[in-house]
Amino acid sequence: MSATTPREDAEVGGRPLPPGWAAPAHQPGADSLADTTFEERARENLARPFQRTAIANATDHTVFALQRRFAGTAHDALRDEARRIRAHAITNLPTYLEQWVDRAEARGTQVHFAADEAEARRIVAGLCAERGVGRVVKSKSMASEEVSLNSALEGAGIDVVETDLGEFVVQAMGDRPSHVIAPILHRTQGEVHELFSAMAGEDLPDDPEALTGFAREGLRHAFLTADAGISGGNFLIAETGEVAMVTNEGNGRLTTSLPRIHIALVGIEKMLPRRTDLAVLLPLLTGHGTGQQITTYVSVLGGPRGAGEPDGPEEMHVVLLDGGRSALLGGEFEEALHCIRCGACQNVCPVYRQVGGHAYGWVYGGPIGAVLTPLFRGQADGGELSHATTLCGACDDICPVRIPLHDLLLGLRRRRVAEDVAPLSERLAFRAWGLAWRHPATYRASTAVARAGLAVLARDGVVSRRVPGLARWTATRDLVLGRRR
Amino acid sequence: MAAVASTPRGHDPGLPDRAAAPDAPTELRAGESPLDRFQTEAEAVSTIVERVDAAGAASAVAAALEAAGAGAVAIAADLGDLLEPVREACRSAGLQVDDYADVAPERARAAALDATVTGCLAAVAATGSIVTTGATGRAAALIAPTHVCVVRADQVVDGLHALVDGDVLAAAGSMFALQSGPSRSADIEKTLILGVHGPGRVHVLLVV
Repeated sequence: MSATTPREDAEVGGRPLPPGWAAPAHQPGADSLADTTFEERARENLARPFQRTAIANATDHTVFALQRRFAGTAHDALRDEARRIRAHAITNLPTYLEQWVDRAEARGTQVHFAADEAEARRIVAGLCAERGVGRVVKSKSMASEEVSLNSALEGAGIDVVETDLGEFVVQAMGDRPSHVIAPILHRTQGEVHELFSAMAGEDLPDDPEALTGFAREGLRHAFLTADAGISGGNFLIAETGEVAMVTNEGNGRLTTSLPRIHIALVGIEKMLPRRTDLAVLLPLLTGHGTGQQITTYVSVLGGPRGAGEPDGPEEMHVVLLDGGRSALLGGEFEEALHCIRCGACQNVCPVYRQVGGHAYGWVYGGPIGAVLTPLFRGQADGGELSHATTLCGACDDICPVRIPLHDLLLGLRRRRVAEDVAPLSERLAFRAWGLAWRHPATYRASTAVARAGLAVLARDGVVSRRVPGLARWTATRDLVLGRRR
Repeated sequence: MAAVASTPRGHDPGLPDRAAAPDAPTELRAGESPLDRFQTEAEAVSTIVERVDAAGAASAVAAALEAAGAGAVAIAADLGDLLEPVREACRSAGLQVDDYADVAPERARAAALDATVTGCLAAVAATGSIVTTGATGRAAALIAPTHVCVVRADQVVDGLHALVDGDVLAAAGSMFALQSGPSRSADIEKTLILGVHGPGRVHVLLVV
């Protein structure tokens, strides 16, 4: 039924792919973040038309839907319970992982363990090579973004097709997702229209329904010719060895149903002890993620096609990704592993809402991105992100599993200071400030000096020009001097 | 599978047992009728819900398929007692009828179907969801533009907790799946589009 698809057959809906479609120009994770700074990336993104309006509209829509969804329910109690479950699962992760592997293998799932990004790529590419896979359909997976799976597979001569509508656009544009739930939040309908028209070789109607129809047609062809389906996973259930997955479009279900091989790449921290825990975590994931009561499709997969079943893959593989996660167990930042990737903290973050996901430089944006990036990639490659926040605490307030993101960000700032990343002048200045404000007399003296100094620079009580030592602040903001009482 | 089904609950002393359902949007509220809530929630996500009696179920399936303009249809084996009556009713209506199990091995043929007809393992009142399993066919609910699903009133469970915590899933096989309305996406500027990869039309016949 599904002979290996030769590479030259790369096409969508019987149409040849435009140049660059199968090999995205930009692969997240493949590049070092050290090439650019957050400030540079933020500046670039702030200048993009549409993006800031689009993010505000989309995120407000989701946050209001979330509030309506949980109105009249014991939302806080549900979040408390979710936090207990996640904390318990992570504290006992080694035990539950062992249990999950035992149960999954007993059901015929083949389990692989990837210590890091490179090993994950090797395992998946190896599975595809051994089984003569020519074409892969993918449903949205942040873990696969983490390990830059697409470029690895394409490098091995495999045709990779993203099937989530947003991810399909991202792949075709050589772009990368800017939000964990809504990958093309930053793109206009006009841009999608232009892209799809170019792929179709004709001017398609500029309306979302026609554009979606075009993608559906092409992606159906991919589904029907793919040898393997690669998905992520939202939860691992230790009690049953299952992988739970949510989608709205149905691409996740088709990815895991039609091709003869299913490979799920899942972070080890996605563990839930029991099936019953889904009753707590699922409504929080979907409610906080999109404001939905439940996503259109929820699949709970417990192995390959069973005896007497009419369809389903002959093989199911799960690649468990560590990728920096186990190093956090038992440490100061363990709670970062409680995250269920709903994206709610991005939606309410005043920094994310201005600069968008790309400014964070890696796979995850917003508060959780500012926490996970330095933890998974190292301080040098994202440590500055702990300053890409206002510490307003909106992320703490909205997190469905009550991760103290604000405290984690402060902790990362402290770690950055301890690792001597701040310049000597900054450290000395803060030390002097700390000493001066320890006693009333020196405090008063210091404010008097500051006031006198600033008064020289001020006009009508407002400092508008660059002040030595405070230039980063006053370059973009006025400093209003208080009046002496 | 037996090993999984016999796993004792609450095996880890560190994790509190949850006997009662959590207070979540995915649970029934006190005093609510499960069938009414199911219909309300299913309709809220654009499912067509029609209540029929057992005697009229098979002809209602054929009528639902005709209303969708379907020509080629496949029927899943999980319809149970209704399998033969539904097959007959569809044939009488002039539809091209196949068993899903015969069509499924040929992906291209399955994708050319106009509609599928399935039963279900259960339905969840509080979320308006239909629960299918590997026995139904993993792709049976979403390979065609129209999905017609027959739900018996006694298959409706109150909420998500009753589904995942109860014995219902003992018969799940290699997987179980919830579907709540037509396939949807809002990726392009948050405009809601139905029928992205799965069906654009989902018609539930609730047999009461």
